[in-house]
Amino acid sequence: MKRLLATTAIATLFAMPALAVEITVGASNIAPYLDPGRDHSNVGSQFYYNSFDTLIAKNLDSDKTEWLPGLAVSWELVEPTVMELKLREGVKFHNGEDLTADDVVFSLNRMYQATFPPYQVRARDRLENFAKAEKIDDHTVRIHAKREEPLWETLLNLQQVMIIPEEYTKALAGDPKVAEDDDYEAFSLKPVGTGPYKIATFSPGEQVVYERFDDFWGDKAPLDRVTVKRMPETASRITALKTGEADIITNVAPDQLSLIDGDANLKTVGAATALFHVMIMNVNHPKLKDPRIRQAMSLAIDRDTLNEALWLGKAIVPASHTMQEFGELHMPELTTFEYNPERAKELLKEAGYDGFEITFDTDAVYYTNGLLAAQAIMEMWAEVGIKGKVQVGEKWTGNSPELMARNWSNPMYFADPFGSFGVMWAPNGPSESEGRFNTDEAYAKAWERFRFSKDVAERRAAYGELMERIQADPPVLPLYRPFESWAMRKDINWAPKPGNIPYVLDFRAGSISFASN
Amino acid sequence: MLTYLARTILKMLVTFFVIVTLVFFATRLSGSPIDFVIGEGITQEDRALLTSYYGLDQSTWVQYRAFLASFADGQFGLSFVERRPVAEIVGERIWPSLQLLLSSVVLTLALSLPLGILGAVYRKSWIGSAVMVIAFVGYAVPNFVLATLMILIFSYWLNWLPVVGNGTPWHFIMPTITMSGILIAGLTRFTRNAMLDVLGQDYMRTARAKGLSEQTVIFKHGLRNASITILSVIGLQIAGLAAAGSVVVEAIFAWPGIGDLLVRSAIVRDYPVLQFGVIAVSVAVLFINAAVDIAYAYADPRIRLGRA
Amino acid sequence: MADTAFTPSIAANSRLKGASAIWRDADPIQRAAMVLAVILISAAILAPFIAPFGPEQQSLIARLRPPIGFERYKDGYLLGTDELGRDVLSRTLYGLRLTLTLALLGASIGLVVGGLLGILAGLIGGVFEDMVMGAVDTQIAIPFTLIALLLLAIFGSSIEVMVLVLGVYGWEQSARIVRGEVRRLAQMPFIEAARSAGASGPRIAFKHILPNVISPLVVQFTLSLSNIVLLESTLSFLGLGVQPPTATLGAMVGIGRDYMPTAPWIVVAPALMILLITFAVQILGDWLRDRTDVRLRAR
Repeated sequence: MKRLLATTAIATLFAMPALAVEITVGASNIAPYLDPGRDHSNVGSQFYYNSFDTLIAKNLDSDKTEWLPGLAVSWELVEPTVMELKLREGVKFHNGEDLTADDVVFSLNRMYQATFPPYQVRARDRLENFAKAEKIDDHTVRIHAKREEPLWETLLNLQQVMIIPEEYTKALAGDPKVAEDDDYEAFSLKPVGTGPYKIATFSPGEQVVYERFDDFWGDKAPLDRVTVKRMPETASRITALKTGEADIITNVAPDQLSLIDGDANLKTVGAATALFHVMIMNVNHPKLKDPRIRQAMSLAIDRDTLNEALWLGKAIVPASHTMQEFGELHMPELTTFEYNPERAKELLKEAGYDGFEITFDTDAVYYTNGLLAAQAIMEMWAEVGIKGKVQVGEKWTGNSPELMARNWSNPMYFADPFGSFGVMWAPNGPSESEGRFNTDEAYAKAWERFRFSKDVAERRAAYGELMERIQADPPVLPLYRPFESWAMRKDINWAPKPGNIPYVLDFRAGSISFASN
Repeated sequence: MLTYLARTILKMLVTFFVIVTLVFFATRLSGSPIDFVIGEGITQEDRALLTSYYGLDQSTWVQYRAFLASFADGQFGLSFVERRPVAEIVGERIWPSLQLLLSSVVLTLALSLPLGILGAVYRKSWIGSAVMVIAFVGYAVPNFVLATLMILIFSYWLNWLPVVGNGTPWHFIMPTITMSGILIAGLTRFTRNAMLDVLGQDYMRTARAKGLSEQTVIFKHGLRNASITILSVIGLQIAGLAAAGSVVVEAIFAWPGIGDLLVRSAIVRDYPVLQFGVIAVSVAVLFINAAVDIAYAYADPRIRLGRA
Repeated sequence: MADTAFTPSIAANSRLKGASAIWRDADPIQRAAMVLAVILISAAILAPFIAPFGPEQQSLIARLRPPIGFERYKDGYLLGTDELGRDVLSRTLYGLRLTLTLALLGASIGLVVGGLLGILAGLIGGVFEDMVMGAVDTQIAIPFTLIALLLLAIFGSSIEVMVLVLGVYGWEQSARIVRGEVRRLAQMPFIEAARSAGASGPRIAFKHILPNVISPLVVQFTLSLSNIVLLESTLSFLGLGVQPPTATLGAMVGIGRDYMPTAPWIVVAPALMILLITFAVQILGDWLRDRTDVRLRAR
């Protein structure tokens, strides 16, 4: 492989046709289906950016928000609730079809006016404010919002509104003129987009093979072929990197970093992912109704020690449910969550905690260090007198009335508090609907101002209010932003980009290169 | 012979139906798998929407009938996770599993027959003891320990062998050894015992008395007579043992076979796949057993005449 | 993988002999196995007294420390610590205790249930016998690992479920042995005599039949014991067995394997322990079989 790359470098120098540049990525999980619209899983997010485009793109090299033309070259509000976009010309899908306004309208409306249940579910939490898309001419579309939308660009940059071909999709099953559920099911096994790589082979759960798409409208892909292969075992993944079976591997646990960095041929890169590992608490559990008990459960956890012990201090422990990536909405000055075991003990006393057992549910493997953190938290609880017990299971228990506490993650689906806290903790959102979180009118009002106000200061103030509510009657504690690591051959230059959502394996132009030695 | 055949097949069909029904109702005992399928963080109305989309809002009886009906179209239903026909998902994985099985059986036979014979012939000397110790240790080392050790030594330290998947012939080495370990240990012991039985028989003594060389005695008379017993055991038991072993081996080496699929679908509760996987493997084992039964019956006149 | 293969079917024609001459008759390997068994069982029973730490007692500042004699060794943790700073020695001892308990419980359940069904099938006959033997055939047809996967997928993983799953293992062999024996004995003159003398079914079963099937059942028990140890370890290794933080030997190897390259000591002690158990049980099982003259038969 190395020899191969050296040859390639020389070949490029002489402007000769380059030899194929191929890499293999060992990933701990491969998605069972590939459809950017229905998916928002951490596993799926790895794959879409290489093969699909959004109308509005984003400068990913910075964690400051800068919008760039994507499949749309320009956009403007023509009415307070109507956005008009001019589409890029000469864009081709991987199957050779030209991109037109019809494809864009189809892609957007399949989400905005969803009939396919998985789309309905995905659209509800983030695209609720959009009524429809309509075609003006072959390269102009208008999008209608229900209310004035402060986050237009953000919500047109989502993975869920990446553009897919209309005719191709409709013809996959049943009547070729009609979009049926089966068309979407079939699409998710044979996905087609406009991105710089086409998906040449997709074996669900096993591997994804990308090949360079020569008719891509932008900078051509730097690699001829990328194979992302499932390598579920941590030790096997690292071993595969050492034996050369893989050139890059994902999901390297912090404990393994020193091992790889100690190898002269390998290196690791990592970043604190734009995602919180959180502890959720059921506010409606009969024994946890008193907020002081939940405050104590939260105050007892020394998150900095968790970070030091489990993440080598490389994770980020937040003072509030906020992230750098939120830009103007980043509010590090809030102190919503802290460690104070003395206060925890007082609160437990005041609340009359009688030593009943509090269960903490976790999956054995789903979150890196999840089980370890859970077990460590039990010890920390014990320090203040809480009797905790870890319950391990694969089943999601967040909707069970018996739930007391468990771990979960709150990813940043897009760079705004709405895309992180907002998706999970909205009034009538998943948390409330699952019965472990309550909101009232005051919360809903603050939420309204936070979500729809066009004034940043107003939004910040409203978000601060929401955080106060969370502090007073806590349903959640963000533990940390986990430090996610990748390992690779030393001559590969690749790193996750600060502007991307978590876990994206980005191999577009400018994202990966090779040291020439 | 025909009645015997008919009875074997009928028995197989009944067993098959029992397995199918048991497996189906067993998977429904724990209630709806929907929480495993759609996972976390969606509202209750969306949960209801998806439950009905997956057809899990129907009564168990309706689902059972649909399940039986799905045998008719040859698709065996849709996976909860991958949303494509189960037959397709399982089908892709038969060949890799079969390849691994075949290579393991070959390795097992190549090693355990000679070892077993050595163990029997030289049972009084150190060779015989060595064979027995190998057999015992081989049986005592769990295959996952063996696999983990080999990966550490041959891949991690020495960088000799690949560890993931079934891409090249090199990929076969460690999975095959892992899977064969326990088979070799078992079959060596069995061969040794069968040979011991045969070696003590009168006709062996006769053969020796006739002045035939020891080699001829052992290989021509001994092995031939022991082989019937040995072969029946291989047929009957290797299939079951290999099915079990493949679960571990494929999971460790991410071998894209049925065992790996079964473990994964058990963990995520992909019941359609799990159901069909269990049934498919059981049927394969049933078939092999029936085939061995019939072959055995054909060889043995007492059974051929209808006295099973 | 632990499964029924190469578990010989067993015919009984003798009883266990007295225990006095056992040691004298044993060869060195068998003696070693006996000593080993005694040590393992004592260690399991005494685990709470001899383990230096609790099995779940953790110390985050002392994670992944190597055993004595290596650099970074931490005082008191003879075999090193695991990923949560728990003492590997203590967890191995408790793991041994739990693994052995599970195996004994599982094997006993299989023995009792299988034995009872076998006796009943043999005595009652008719449809009941057909049903029991049908169930036996079905279970023999399905590789047991698949049954275990299915049961664990359905009922989730807990100690109770694990005991149940392990209990389902091996009952069919006991049932088959006992029923065959009952059928054979039923034609014996002394049973006929007892029956005509007016002895009840249960009386015949316990007084006359049970003594005759004890020795093959004991052999069967040791065989399934070592298989069950392997089975439990395997399931726990795959993450389907008893769930963390509870220590069982298989689970320790299963979780520890992620740390194989960096901290192999987490895996070594429990893996070795599994090996020792199965080795000892195998040798003793073989030895028992020889002593009781229970003969191997091909089919």
